[in-house]
Amino acid sequence: MEWTGMALLLLVGVGIIGTGLPAAVVLVAVALFGAALGWATATVPIGLLWALPGRLINILDNDLLQALPLYVTMGLLLNRLVADALYRACSAILPRSRSAPLVSGMVLGALLGPMNGSVGASVLGLSRVISPRLNAEGVTPAIRDAVVAVASTLGVLVPPSLVLILLSDTMLSAHTPAVTQTGRADRVINTQDIFHAALLPAGIFLVLCVILAWIVGRKATRTVKPEPLTVSQGLVAATALVALVLLLGGVAAGYFYAVEAAAMGAFTLLASGLLTRRLNYTVLRDVFHDAIAITGALFSLLVAATTFTLVLRILGTDRLVNNLVGAIPGHDVLAVAGVLAVIGACAFVLDAFEIIFVIVPIVIPPLLIRVADARWVSVLVLLTLQASFLLPPFGYALMMVRGTAQNPAPLRLMLRALAPFLAAQWLLLMIVMFEPSLVHFGQGEGEIGRAPAKDLSNEEINRRLKEMVPPPSMPDSN
Amino acid sequence: MSWLCRLDRVVGRIIAGAQWLALPLIILLFLQWPLRDIFRSYSREANDLGQIIFALFVAVSVTAATRAGTHLTADAIAQYYSRRVRVRIRKIGALIGLAPWALFILLASKSVVVSSLQVREAFPDTGNPGYFIIKLALWIMAITILAQSLLEIMRRAPRDSA
Repeated sequence: MEWTGMALLLLVGVGIIGTGLPAAVVLVAVALFGAALGWATATVPIGLLWALPGRLINILDNDLLQALPLYVTMGLLLNRLVADALYRACSAILPRSRSAPLVSGMVLGALLGPMNGSVGASVLGLSRVISPRLNAEGVTPAIRDAVVAVASTLGVLVPPSLVLILLSDTMLSAHTPAVTQTGRADRVINTQDIFHAALLPAGIFLVLCVILAWIVGRKATRTVKPEPLTVSQGLVAATALVALVLLLGGVAAGYFYAVEAAAMGAFTLLASGLLTRRLNYTVLRDVFHDAIAITGALFSLLVAATTFTLVLRILGTDRLVNNLVGAIPGHDVLAVAGVLAVIGACAFVLDAFEIIFVIVPIVIPPLLIRVADARWVSVLVLLTLQASFLLPPFGYALMMVRGTAQNPAPLRLMLRALAPFLAAQWLLLMIVMFEPSLVHFGQGEGEIGRAPAKDLSNEEINRRLKEMVPPPSMPDSN
Repeated sequence: MSWLCRLDRVVGRIIAGAQWLALPLIILLFLQWPLRDIFRSYSREANDLGQIIFALFVAVSVTAATRAGTHLTADAIAQYYSRRVRVRIRKIGALIGLAPWALFILLASKSVVVSSLQVREAFPDTGNPGYFIIKLALWIMAITILAQSLLEIMRRAPRDSA
């Protein structure tokens, strides 16, 4: 039945694209179909499905996941309270140049993207704030759409983003059995490790994007007059910037937990909005309405993916994937590249969260058995996700931008505008691929992944892979 | 008023009430830091209470997303379907996906939730009361999803205009 699971994965992809139903509904329906198939053929221990409630209670009981509604609320408050002021302040601060609007858009993407919930949400938020202004500056639709698409994906990489937090949780789950099974003396990675690991590549990419926006913008706009910035807008922007930097710094330095940082950010925005009377009952009700709805979109996906991956595990597909990853010949880099290619292909149809919840738990655990450096793998996954969202012609961010723009640019022109950003992204991916030290910036030698006491044979690795993450046990029947 | 309208209204009210849980959630989780590092007391109580509120918020949020239409979808192809076809697909999704899933969760979690309720299970790490509410939240999630699925399934499909 192992290959049945692969067919179910394919069915999920077809179902999501073909029906237009929410990914969560497709996942649940296909999981039930797979379970029914297993039950009808009596070839798998389908009774193990009764372990599902326990797994779902673990989601409701998860400390780290508390950060999700908090970041979502913070993103909504940022968009409502400070996005406009931040954009104007950025335009006003930058030297008077034709490039200022594009650079401001990119910076805004880096500041708001991490809090926006998903690439899709970032596209919607940035399109609202940036696109009309770029239109007014005379920026062509092709360059406008390219900049919005790139800026929308910055949140994938810049900590403390939702994508990073969720990937950290998934990587922790994948790394724990890998360390146990291989006998390596590594410390299991946590959220903080992945934040640290992503900092330098994210910084490099951000600088590259700003430089490219600056170069592209010199010929792209027709006016150099910045939008007027009032004193109150300047104060709002300065306060927000300081708060965001403190938040990021506090999390990166390990002073705050991700959940506390999110709570602090949301509380500060909430308090300042109430004190300045920019938040009244109606606005607050709308914000919380959106917050519960966006949170629900994320958690429904998590719940559905938990159901689906449990069915795959019952069908034995995880062991099949383990064997396939283990059978990739050659150096570790080849194995990593193979798995990243699968993730990249999935990003054509799935958003970051779908990939993190459904694909990563299946393909990453066996990869971490082969490859000791979990920080390196995590950052490569992030970079691949980000690159795939912009990969023509079906990249998710590209399609979203073209779908939401009132006058979308012809794809050919948009791709030409996007080309330098894509080149920078792939260059960074290659650099990190062949220079893993970039993700260990500031890390002590002793913390970097250590090899097992003795080299494991292929047979031994395969045996341990089979033992890895045993199927769930049956709950008590009473 | 038909029972469908009544059910629709009840689910709407549950969501409208639950959305305000975001407020105590933010405040409690924010308070954790000063309570732990400055006052050095009640931090774990704030955390546990925050966990309960989080579980209730999340339990209702799935149905809130369905009603608000915020679920992640890829409608590159489906956008060309007529409204009637899309509604029918949604009904089928609810019928073969969400409704049976919710029923299964209610059935499979019965012993876990009921036994936790009976003993008013406390938080295992701190001994603070109320952990059973987290398990109960799973039922709230399943029941609201089931109710919303019923609404989807029973709702009359629109006439084909496209």
